[in-house]
Amino acid sequence: MISIKGLTKTVQNTTLLSNINLELEPGRILGIIGPSGNGKTTLLLSLCGLLPFDKGEITVGDQCIRAEESGANSETLWAFRKKSGIVFQHLHLFPHLTVLGNITEAPVQVNRKNRAEAEDEAKVLLQKLGITQHMNKYPEELSGGEQQRLAILRALAMNPEVLLLDEPTSALDPIRSGDVRNLLREFAATGHTVVIVSHSLRFLRGIADYMAFMGKSELIEMNTTENLLNNPQDDRTKEFLHHSELN
Amino acid sequence: MRQGKRVGHSGTTILLITVCNFLISGNKILSGVLKPKTFPATKKLILCSLLFVLHSLTAFSEPVLRWGGDPSGGAPYVYSDPANPQSYTGFDYEFAEALAREMKMKAEFVPTDWESIVASLQRKEFDVIIDGFEPTEDRAREVLFSKPYYLFRLQLTVKRTDKLITTLDDCKKHQKTVGTLVNCAASRLLEQGGYKVKAYQDPVGAYQDLALGRVDAVLMDVAGEMFYARQNPELKAAGTPFQTGAYIVGIRKADTLLLAKVNTAIETLVNNGTVERIFRKWQLWDEEQVKLRTVKEPAFEMTNTKLNWSEGLIKLLKAASVTVLLAFGAMIIAVILGIPLALGQSNGGPLTRAACTVYIEFFRGTPVLVQLLFLYFGLPVIGITLPGWLTAIVGLGLNYAAYESQVYRTAFQAIPERQWQVAYSLGMRPLVAFRRIIFPQAFRIALPPMTNDFVALFKDTSTAFAIAVWELATAYRELANATQSYLGIGLVVCCYYLAMSLPLAHYARKLEQKLHRKSTGILSSGTDK
Repeated sequence: MISIKGLTKTVQNTTLLSNINLELEPGRILGIIGPSGNGKTTLLLSLCGLLPFDKGEITVGDQCIRAEESGANSETLWAFRKKSGIVFQHLHLFPHLTVLGNITEAPVQVNRKNRAEAEDEAKVLLQKLGITQHMNKYPEELSGGEQQRLAILRALAMNPEVLLLDEPTSALDPIRSGDVRNLLREFAATGHTVVIVSHSLRFLRGIADYMAFMGKSELIEMNTTENLLNNPQDDRTKEFLHHSELN
Repeated sequence: MRQGKRVGHSGTTILLITVCNFLISGNKILSGVLKPKTFPATKKLILCSLLFVLHSLTAFSEPVLRWGGDPSGGAPYVYSDPANPQSYTGFDYEFAEALAREMKMKAEFVPTDWESIVASLQRKEFDVIIDGFEPTEDRAREVLFSKPYYLFRLQLTVKRTDKLITTLDDCKKHQKTVGTLVNCAASRLLEQGGYKVKAYQDPVGAYQDLALGRVDAVLMDVAGEMFYARQNPELKAAGTPFQTGAYIVGIRKADTLLLAKVNTAIETLVNNGTVERIFRKWQLWDEEQVKLRTVKEPAFEMTNTKLNWSEGLIKLLKAASVTVLLAFGAMIIAVILGIPLALGQSNGGPLTRAACTVYIEFFRGTPVLVQLLFLYFGLPVIGITLPGWLTAIVGLGLNYAAYESQVYRTAFQAIPERQWQVAYSLGMRPLVAFRRIIFPQAFRIALPPMTNDFVALFKDTSTAFAIAVWELATAYRELANATQSYLGIGLVVCCYYLAMSLPLAHYARKLEQKLHRKSTGILSSGTDK
């Protein structure tokens, strides 16, 4: 479950996020679209507690964080960060750790899990995405698609309530994209929430329950995927979709 | 003596006269033809006076007697006059002036380094050595000796509180360390006698270390002892002066003509009382000096230290192990201390940041040699007295920490901010994120420059000679100066250094390759929007 109320973020007189309000029930996948530089990634960073904001509050699962807690090194912030996992566009895998190490590092270091136990859990995840054979390799030895699946598994290993993905299609390997889609669906089906920022309407149409359009630092409109794509209300959404479909 | 110098100067003068005359007359013509006004008289005056000054500086110069001495801590021989630091003073300075005057020459002082003074003479940096120079058998092979102009004796000095040592024999009996000057009659006497010796570059350091308890006794010429030890309330003379030696003028083997002139001049100066007047002024005249009138040949009892190669190699090996100790000790300090410095400079508050920057710039911006001297002689002033080897480790460590901090800083900055963010999003606290995620990656980037620094540090340990640490470079200077075998021992010393630094470079490369095999570069250095 995600609930955002009046989220506002300004940096040096530039408004990055202006009064964003958003509600998303558990088990749903939300796709966010919009032109580049309109605050989509900023919104994701705020959602996982990596970016302090000026006004409003965000609730993920049962953990709420208010603006004043979002910057300080507070216990609330650390608890909040655990609620969501993020997969960056450029993945940022840990180059000095093996595939297995990338997945187990946080469970072992943060949750104080026994390493063998963490590795067993990781192997189950690896099997789902068909990269078990690579578990002792280093990230650079993997293909782009494998690296992306690894990044998703690394986030999932911490059992977040919410998974955030920034432009996953840029590294997606079309043959294996089905695996990723299934994994995300399965994750959502168990009561989790997924938010995907993407340019690819095709990818989102196939996976998202809801879609939201972000204009300049604002959340212009949000609707079910079907409604937003076929019956956009706002002119800015219409124009964006028009151009996107042309591409 | 350089006769050519005078000719050269005269030639220059003639040329200058011609040029100046031309300029003046030429200007007259020009001003007469082109301008109605006359050429300004002041300019003419300036040119004329310039001409006069140049002419008087060069044309009347006498033949020059260039003499070499070490003014660093060289009192009362030759040293910077504290009352007038632009010029020098000392009994050798006055003697050299008197000697040159007697020879109808002009004395020109060439400051040099005591330890390699014979080598400098051979390189013709000056024509004679006048610096409390004693005749020894080994020097006799390289240098001509004049008649003595002063007869010195040796004096043993101990701490005022010392009850144990009254003679040199006591030092041997109780295994005490005796400090002295490098490459002098006393140091040879001690080395011959198998004493525990610590050789200093200058007498100040030796007596200072005696007062601080870093050595147990100091043996030095009475002249040095008079000047540096007698006024020090913490020190006292042990026994009476002993073992007469002579100060003579050292001259290159080929300059026999100069030797004859110098000897004649010394004879005159001794007989007409000039020498007595100079040494009385410095309170160094005693009944012993009467013998100067009768001594014909410079006698030397101080025997030569001949190089025994197998012993020499072992001595160098011992020194090399000190070098290894210094390098490793200093590197450990540098590697550890560099971390808080780097963190403080990049992540600290304004005050921490400023303090770290001041530290780093101070240690990078001043010579490590000066820092070592400062630590060795400066710290005891505030009550911290470290032995030489420890001072060298701490000093080099503090110095290299400044460099390591910059290596770390660059390495950390090369790790993308997103790596921190990923770690935080996985719930890792800053310390865990640093230890498990950031540090291992930064280390791989920092390793090659750190290896470089370590090799550089190995070589920089040689600066410890300044604070009388007996490491490889000091051992080289000592052995080579004592035997004049700069080339042979030098090659051996270079081999020792290479034997230490090459394996180091090799293992560092191995480690780099190992880390590199694990993974190369930063996986995705691209930036997210």
